[in-house]
Amino acid sequence: MVLDFVVPSPQGSSWGLGGTCVNVGCIPKKLMHQAALLGQALQDSRKYGWEYNKQVKHNWETMTEAIQNHISSLNWSYRLKLREKGVAYINAYGEFVEPSKIKATNKKGQETFYTASTFVIATGERPRYLGIQGDKEYCITSDDLFSLPHCPGRTLVVGASYVGLECAGFLAGLGLDVTVMVRSVLLRGFDQEMAEKVGSYLEKEGIKFQRKFTPVLIQQMERGSPGVLRVVAKSTEGPETIEGVYNTVLLAVGRESCTRKIGLEKIGVKINEKSGKIPVNDMEQTNVPHVYAVGDILEGKPELTPVAIQAGKLLARRLFGGSLEKCDYINIPTTVFTPLEYGCCGLSEEKAIEVYKKENLEVYHNLFWPLEWTVTGRDNNTCYAKIICNKFDNERVVGFHLLGPNAGEITQGFAVAMKCGLTKQLLNDTIGIHPTCSEVFTTLEITKSSGLDITQKGC
Amino acid sequence: AQRLLLRRFLTSVIPRKPPQGGWTSLTSRTLQTPQYNPGGLTETFICSATFNVQDGPDFQDRVVNSETPVVDFHAQWCGPCKILGPRLEKMVAKQHGKVVMAKVNTDDHTDLAMYEVSAVPTVLAIKNGDVADKFVGIKEEDQLETFLKKLIG
Repeated sequence: MVLDFVVPSPQGSSWGLGGTCVNVGCIPKKLMHQAALLGQALQDSRKYGWEYNKQVKHNWETMTEAIQNHISSLNWSYRLKLREKGVAYINAYGEFVEPSKIKATNKKGQETFYTASTFVIATGERPRYLGIQGDKEYCITSDDLFSLPHCPGRTLVVGASYVGLECAGFLAGLGLDVTVMVRSVLLRGFDQEMAEKVGSYLEKEGIKFQRKFTPVLIQQMERGSPGVLRVVAKSTEGPETIEGVYNTVLLAVGRESCTRKIGLEKIGVKINEKSGKIPVNDMEQTNVPHVYAVGDILEGKPELTPVAIQAGKLLARRLFGGSLEKCDYINIPTTVFTPLEYGCCGLSEEKAIEVYKKENLEVYHNLFWPLEWTVTGRDNNTCYAKIICNKFDNERVVGFHLLGPNAGEITQGFAVAMKCGLTKQLLNDTIGIHPTCSEVFTTLEITKSSGLDITQKGC
Repeated sequence: AQRLLLRRFLTSVIPRKPPQGGWTSLTSRTLQTPQYNPGGLTETFICSATFNVQDGPDFQDRVVNSETPVVDFHAQWCGPCKILGPRLEKMVAKQHGKVVMAKVNTDDHTDLAMYEVSAVPTVLAIKNGDVADKFVGIKEEDQLETFLKKLIG
């Protein structure tokens, strides 16, 4: 039996079966990212000889309708799959009332009770708000953005998480005026050298950054679709305040686990009180033996869809299929789908230094110029590749980082290689595919320790 | 088996209130003029022969209890549905009121749809409370004509 219920966002957004990824995450995000890339391609196409007179502009409603239609088809397919496997689907909010009993409340408020011998909690997270005046009334989050009925217009994105930067990226790519307000660092938790490069690229593409500020007040100046909002922000370093006027304020300041109102305290399941996350053992089991957890709510595990899916699949096989296989959380690849994508697998440089010590590492890196960028006159010192190797383990690759077009597609293959124990020598022995961006990893020679300049010369 | 399926899903979505004459036998009644009739009389029969199902009781009323209903399960995100829909409406209208078509949006009425449908578009022909005929996907006008004529009998 599956209990799924989406509590509407403060702006009233809700969605069907499939979770965050399908409805308000990966899927619509990647499609909007693609929409923005196509806009860029249109611009570049003239250099490749395409001639057209029509003014090219973007229709937000056309895009969101197409995306929402696809999401609906996915919601349907999940309902079908559950039916095919004989899984009962209940659209109700579940809470524990006793160790083996839950109360399910549907949207009409009707309560039903169910008992089971095993439970899996996969309630995920929802966007965090700032806790300032006007935030819930006037701001939107990723919960609302992908089904927004009108174009957001001039947008302030608060937060430089990957959610914030990806959204800022595609909104700017669609032609909107975008500002990103950052309290401290970009892409916290990611390799900071790469994060800064991502930020620089976004700035070059016209996105304004307000660093070291945080909003303190949001006021509505005009109603509308979109309306006009006034934002007052305070510096994190002093008394300075700034003001700005925007059509839309998109909050991307973190996500909160949905673990506090599901009755866990009634049955003794321990959660991290500060973060709300649930600590589990290597079998995804909580401190209460018949209660398991998977997904974004797990403490210390990457918040990624494929991680949740894999953990869930293997858990099911262990519980009912006699398997002993555990989920492997090492070297999980991911990609930030900003207009120029950042793909990575393994450790950030900071983490690698912490774990292995700087002198035991060799970092190979290079800037590269995608062939497709030559004709369009894009910069030759933007795209960047870096691998971090453990000198005392055959120069084992412990960190892979790529800033470049299609980084998402490229990184997947290298993640498999790392699972197979990729070393620098193996990379050297592999012949590159030419001309691609990906081949840069087969010819990396310059190390950071050598101090040599990697700047590409123009011609 | 199909009748049991139809009965089962109707009883699950509709509050328990046995209709006049019960489920099992469709008492032979004259074709009811559906209440839904936007804009009064029209030249074509399209408006009175085709309607959108509002909810479970509506389905029971105007589909199960109707003489010869055809049910078009469709979705907003389904390309073929957009082609089949108007085509079906046209062919149903040509039958001059002998067939009534109910349209069920599978996103709005997923519970209802889940019992009968896997893919969209799915079209059911219901006779005497049973699923008498069914097809999935797009059909040409002459194929639709045959399908409808078979139902009318």
